[in-house]
Amino acid sequence: MARDLTAARYRKFYARLVRLYPKPFRERYGESLEQTFNDVLREREERAGGLLGSALWMFAETSPEIIRENWTAMITQNRNIARIALVTGLLLMIPLVAMQFSDDVNWGVGDFIVMGGLLFGSGLTYELVARRGGTTAYKAAVGVAVVASLLLMWVNLAVGIIGSENNPANVLYLGVIYIALIGATIVRLRPRGMSRVLFFTALTQALVPVIALLIWRPTFDDPPGMVGVFFLNAGFVTLYLVSALLFRHAGETDPR
Amino acid sequence: MATDKGRVPLTPAVLHILLALSARERHGYGIMKQVKADSQGKVNMGPGTLYGSLARMMESGLIDESDRKVDPELDDERRVYYRITGLGQKALKAELARYREVVALATGISLSASSYTYGT
Repeated sequence: MARDLTAARYRKFYARLVRLYPKPFRERYGESLEQTFNDVLREREERAGGLLGSALWMFAETSPEIIRENWTAMITQNRNIARIALVTGLLLMIPLVAMQFSDDVNWGVGDFIVMGGLLFGSGLTYELVARRGGTTAYKAAVGVAVVASLLLMWVNLAVGIIGSENNPANVLYLGVIYIALIGATIVRLRPRGMSRVLFFTALTQALVPVIALLIWRPTFDDPPGMVGVFFLNAGFVTLYLVSALLFRHAGETDPR
Repeated sequence: MATDKGRVPLTPAVLHILLALSARERHGYGIMKQVKADSQGKVNMGPGTLYGSLARMMESGLIDESDRKVDPELDDERRVYYRITGLGQKALKAELARYREVVALATGISLSASSYTYGT
C-alpha cells in the first residue's frame, strides 16, 4: 500500500516535469512519456526492486532533454521572427526604390514606420497565433484573417475605403479589427470560438458601409463610388468568411 | 518532413532505435526494452532520450507512427506504435556498412602493426 502511494507520488512529480517541455512537444509526446515512466516503475514493482533509484534516474535523464527541446523551440521561434523582420525590410525597399525613380511615390518617415509596424506586427501575430493551432487549416485560417486585416488597415490609411482617408466613416473599419482582436482574446484562440468570432467580424464588416450611409450619409463622390465601396467591402467580407470556415474545419479535428 | 535523407553516422540512440524497429513495430516502452536486450544492458535509454530521439527521427523521416494502436498484452489502446520507414532502413543499412568498413580498417591496421612489431 505504502509502495503504491510512493509510486503515485513519483508519477505525479514526473507529470509535473513533463509540463516543462515546449507545448507542441508536450502535446504530442507528453502522454507517452508519462506512460513509459509508469511502465518502468511497474516493472520495478513487479520485480520488487527499489522505486527511488529508477525514478531519480528518469528525472535526471529527462531534465537535460527538456532543456534541449526548449532551446530548440526558442531558436526556431527567433529564426522565424528574424525572417519576418527581413521580409518586412525587403517589402519596405519597394517604395524606397520606387521613390528614386518616380515622383508619384512619395513616402515620409512616418509612412515607413507605420507600414513597417503593420507588416512586422501582422507577421508576428501570425507566428504567435498560428503556432498554437498546429493544423494546416488553423494556420491557413490565421493567415487569411491576418492578411485581410492588414489589407483593410493599409487601404484605409492610404486612400480610405469610404471617400478619402480623412472621411470619419472609415474609423468604423478599425472597429472591425478591434472586434476580431477582442473576440480572439475572449475565446482564447480556440478554433471553434475563432470561427464564431470571424463570422461575427465578417458580419460587422458587411454592416460598416450601411451604418456609414445611415449616420454620415457620405456622398460617395470620390472613387471608388458607392458600387465600388460595396464591392471592395464584399471582398473583405469574403476573406473573413473564408477564415471563419477554415477555423470551423480546424475545430472539427480539434474540438476545443 | 524528411530532412536527414539517411545521413550517417547516426547517434548511438538512433542506431539502437532503428535496430529495435527493424524487426517489427514497437511502442516506446517496447523499444526501450528491446534496446536494453540488444545491447545486453549496456545501453539503458530513459523516456526523455527515447522520445527526444523519436521526435527527431519522425521529423527526419526515419520512422513514422503505425496505425496499430492496441498492445494485446498490455491492452492499452492509447499506446503509439512506431515503425521504420524506407529511408530509415537505408540509413540503418548505410550505418552498418560504415561500421563494417571501420572494423575492416581496424583489423587491417592491427594486422600490419603486429607484423611490423613482431615480423622483423
